[in-house]
Amino acid sequence: MVKMKNYILTVKGLTKNFGSVHALNKITFNIKYGDFFGLIGPNGAGKSTLLKILYGIVIPDSGSIGIEGLNLEYDYKKIKYNLGIVPQDDNLDEDLSVYENLLIYSMYFGISKKESIKKSAELLIFFNLDDKKYSKVAALSGGLRRRLMIARALINNPSLIILDEPTSGLDPEYRQNIWGRLKALNENGVTILMSTHYMEEAERLFKNMIILNHGNIVLNGAIKDITLNKKSLEEIFLDIAKN
Amino acid sequence: MKIIRKLKNINSNLSSRSFTVFYRNYMVWLKYYKPGVIGDILEPLLYLAALGFGIGKFIHRIDGMSYVKYIVPGIIASSSMYAAAFESTFGAYTRMVTNGIYEAILLTPVGIEDIVLGEILWGTAKAFMSGAAVLIIGTAFGWTISPFAFFIPVIIVLNGILFSSLSLLITSFSPSYDFFSYYFTIAVSTMFLFSGVFYPVSSLPYLVKYFVYIMPLYYTVSIMRMLDEGRIHPLILSSYLLVIILFALIFFYASVFFIRKRVIK
Repeated sequence: MVKMKNYILTVKGLTKNFGSVHALNKITFNIKYGDFFGLIGPNGAGKSTLLKILYGIVIPDSGSIGIEGLNLEYDYKKIKYNLGIVPQDDNLDEDLSVYENLLIYSMYFGISKKESIKKSAELLIFFNLDDKKYSKVAALSGGLRRRLMIARALINNPSLIILDEPTSGLDPEYRQNIWGRLKALNENGVTILMSTHYMEEAERLFKNMIILNHGNIVLNGAIKDITLNKKSLEEIFLDIAKN
Repeated sequence: MKIIRKLKNINSNLSSRSFTVFYRNYMVWLKYYKPGVIGDILEPLLYLAALGFGIGKFIHRIDGMSYVKYIVPGIIASSSMYAAAFESTFGAYTRMVTNGIYEAILLTPVGIEDIVLGEILWGTAKAFMSGAAVLIIGTAFGWTISPFAFFIPVIIVLNGILFSSLSLLITSFSPSYDFFSYYFTIAVSTMFLFSGVFYPVSSLPYLVKYFVYIMPLYYTVSIMRMLDEGRIHPLILSSYLLVIILFALIFFYASVFFIRKRVIK
C-alpha cells in the first residue's frame, strides 16, 4: 500500500481484444506523481486503445486501473474530476466559440460560473488564444485547435493529463509551442501521460516511458536508461517496429 | 434479473448533470433558431390552415364540430412528434457521430446516461415549442373547445419524451443519415397519417384499425382530443396515459442501453 501512494496511475494486467485482434495483452505499469510519462510504439501497437481505456471510451476485457487510489471501474466519475484528457480526434464543439467551448466544458465539471470565467481567462492567455476568444472554432487553424483542446482539458485543474499524440500533424513551430506549455505544466506538478510517434519529442519531454508493440510492453524505464547504450531512441524504435 | 440490474445501474448513473447537456444544445439553438422555428412552428400552422380551411370547406361537420377544430389536437400531437423526431435523429446523430460531442462530454464527469437524458430533455423541449405554438394559436383563433385543453401541455411533454426516446433509439442503430428515411417513412409518416390526426380511427377498415393500436401517436392524439373536446372517459384516459408512459419508459431505457453500446466499445 505504501508503494501505491507514490503512484498516480497503476495499470495491472490490462487486456483488450477486438474480436480476434489482441489490442492489449496483460499490460502492467505505474506512473509516479509528477512524472512526464511517455507512451510510444508503432502504429497499431495499442497506444490509443490503452489511452481510450484510461479515459473510459473503451472498456477493457480484464485487468484493473487505479488513478489516485480510486478504481476506474467503480469510481470513474470521481476520477474524471481530476483528469484532463486530450484525445487524438479533434472533438471541439464546432457550433460554439473558443470561449464558449471552455465555459460549457467547465459546466460539465460542475465548476461555478465565477470560477470558470476566471479559469478560462487564465487559459486563453496561457495558450495565447486571447485574441481568438470570440472566434468560432471552425475558423481556427490546426495548431490553434490543438491548443484549445489542451486548454479545455485543463479547465478543471487536473492532477493528471492524458494526451494522445497532441502534436501530430502540426508545424514544428506549433509543436515547440505546445512542448513549452506542457513542460511548464509538468514543472508546476501536473503529471503527464502522453503518446507520440515523434522520437525527438519523446527524448525532449519524457522522464519515463513504455514502448508498446503488438499490445505488449517491450521496454519500460527511464528515458536516460533506455538510451544509455548509445543507440538513439529512433534506432531502438526501428528495431522494435521491425519485429 | 440481469435486466433489473442493468436498469438499476442506469438509474444510479442519472444525475442533474444531464441539464448541462440540455443547456449545451440550447446554447447552440439560440444561435441558429430562426430556420428551426420555420420547421417546428410555421409548418404545423400551414397544415392547420391548408387542411382546416381547404378540406374543411367540404366537411361541414365532423364529430359535431368544424374540421379545423377537429384537427387541432391531432396537429398538436403530430407536430410535437415531428419536432422531437427531427431533433433526436438528425440533430443527435450530428452530435454523436459527425461532431464527436458525446465523446468530448464523456471525457468529463458527465456519463452516457446523463447525455441521453439531456438529449431527450432537449428533444422534448423542441416538441414542446412546436406543440405549444399550435395550441396557443389554435386557442387564439377560438379553435380549442373545452377548458380541459389547459392540460394538453402535459401530454405534449409526455409525447416529446416518448418520441425523443424512440428517435434516439433509432439513432443508436443508424449507420448514416440516409437510414433515417426508413424511420420517417415507415414509422413517423405512417403514424401521422393513420393515428387519427385527420379523421376518426373508427372509419378505418377492421384490420388496419388494429394496426393503429401499436402506434404510440394514436394514444397521444386520443388523449389530446379528449381533453380538447372535454369528453373525458376516466378509464380510457388513464389506460391510454399508462400506455404512453410505458412506451416512453421502454424507449428511454432502450435508448440509454443502445447509445452506450454504440459509443463505448
